[in-house]
Amino acid sequence: MRTQITDLIGLRVYTESGVYVGEVEDIVLDIDAKRIDGLAIGSLNKDLIDVKKHKGIRIPYRLVKSVSDVVVLRNIPAMFKGSQME
Amino acid sequence: MKTLLARSLSRKRIMTNDGKVIGTLKNIMVNPDSGQITDIILEPDPDFNVSGFEVDNERVFIPFEAVRDIRDYIVVDRHLMLR
Repeated sequence: MRTQITDLIGLRVYTESGVYVGEVEDIVLDIDAKRIDGLAIGSLNKDLIDVKKHKGIRIPYRLVKSVSDVVVLRNIPAMFKGSQME
Repeated sequence: MKTLLARSLSRKRIMTNDGKVIGTLKNIMVNPDSGQITDIILEPDPDFNVSGFEVDNERVFIPFEAVRDIRDYIVVDRHLMLR
């Protein structure tokens, strides 16, 4: 399956348990390994992530579980605040 | 490891390794499941001969294996870019 990279920009990002994380603002490419290194995520969910000075976060692509109409991230315990309660 | 943001590549010029500018980057194709970058999509300059390439709607697909490096230009190997 092939997708245009511009189709990934703007997708909404959720955790496996359905919590909104943010929106894909850019894609980090690893040119030497010829693969996606990570996603730059903006419009963050302020309940999940402490937004202080930074506008976005960068998530390694190995944490991405699936990409379709939205991006779903694998559940990592304690990755986000409050996630231990899930 | 060299990482780049996809947006920074928008409209970047594409050059073969023998120094000929062949067009402009239009888009990048990826496999979202594996994370692999599969192709780059070239908007060819008018004097570029597209025969032998996978062409869709005047967009030319170049396999990403052909990409040598990306700095001011995207440099592609002129032998590897032909599938």
